Amino acid sequence: MSLEGRKGRRAPLLLGLLFLASTPHAAGAAAQELSAAELDQRTAEVAAELRCPVCRNQSVLESSSGLAREMQSVIRDRLAAGESPEDVREYFVGRYGDWILLKPEPKGINLLVYLLPAVALLGGAGLLVRQIRRWTGATTASGGTAESVVIPGGPAPVEDAAGRDGDQPAAGTAGSLSKEEEDWIRRQMESVH
Amino acid sequence: MRRFRRWLIPILPIPVLALLAFGLTRDVQVLPSAIVGEAAPSFRLETMSGDTLSLAEVEARVVVLNFWASWCIPCRQEHPVLTRATEVYKERDVRVLGVLYQDSQDGAERFMRRFGGGWNTVLDPGSRTAIDFGVYGVPETFFLDAERRIAYKHIGPLTWDVLQTKVDSLLALTETALGAPDES
Repeated sequence: MSLEGRKGRRAPLLLGLLFLASTPHAAGAAAQELSAAELDQRTAEVAAELRCPVCRNQSVLESSSGLAREMQSVIRDRLAAGESPEDVREYFVGRYGDWILLKPEPKGINLLVYLLPAVALLGGAGLLVRQIRRWTGATTASGGTAESVVIPGGPAPVEDAAGRDGDQPAAGTAGSLSKEEEDWIRRQMESVH
Repeated sequence: MRRFRRWLIPILPIPVLALLAFGLTRDVQVLPSAIVGEAAPSFRLETMSGDTLSLAEVEARVVVLNFWASWCIPCRQEHPVLTRATEVYKERDVRVLGVLYQDSQDGAERFMRRFGGGWNTVLDPGSRTAIDFGVYGVPETFFLDAERRIAYKHIGPLTWDVLQTKVDSLLALTETALGAPDES
């Protein structure tokens, strides 16, 4: 085998080794470039979730106070050191308590903040639906069947618990007969036969 | 059931009103601190005189760690209290230590020359130590026990009564802890 031939066969091997040797560096550089852009974005995301201790109702991202700027710098440094956004949030919660979070964690008593509006909304919707049904029921009742319940010469109309008289039957009771009325009708029917 | 429903509507706002009334009893100036009772964050910082000071190396039974700035008016108000503390507790192993908060060294030196006070103040570039301690603003003072746990945090200008009560109770606790083995 000639020297040329040996060189020719080694070339792909050398190229492969070169590729292997260079890849981690290239990947590292790419990751660094990526992280620089991501770092800004992640810093902004975490800063937007934290309350500025000086301005109180502004986030660390929005506030122009000196402390908020220093906090942004701390967030950035911690993220750059490899901490996750969760870790950074936990660090600030550890120093300032849950108060530092603009959006409280949904746990413990904080759950009320998330659940109460939904409960109130569903409860209100339920009450509204019930009330609407009651109103529509009352309209139907007063439109037709109420008079038919009152039988001339029959038993006295029964007052309902709300104090209405028999001419205006209560919603939901329209068309239904009391035991007394049923018995009276049955007696009338039997007397006919 | 019908009677219950009749009362339901007037009763419903009561919890909401009670919650609002409870809110009125709370002072919005009182801010929560997650760090009281915890070990004080360690720091190693440059002092105004150019030395390096580490909290772990401070030898004292009680450390009064005061975050302050020369531009802070309440800091001027509490300054005589700290000066008095250094005199009264000189022989009792109590150390007052200042941490400069978002201020220039020149400003702080002028302040100290004008109002006196010989205790050490460390510089806190980037407010890293202030954030580590969960500081909201100045003045804020942390009372650290012999084991460098944060026993108490005071927000706003110190009064002599507050300082004396806290320092005396911490000293008493240390003495009890030290005296306990002898008694047993």
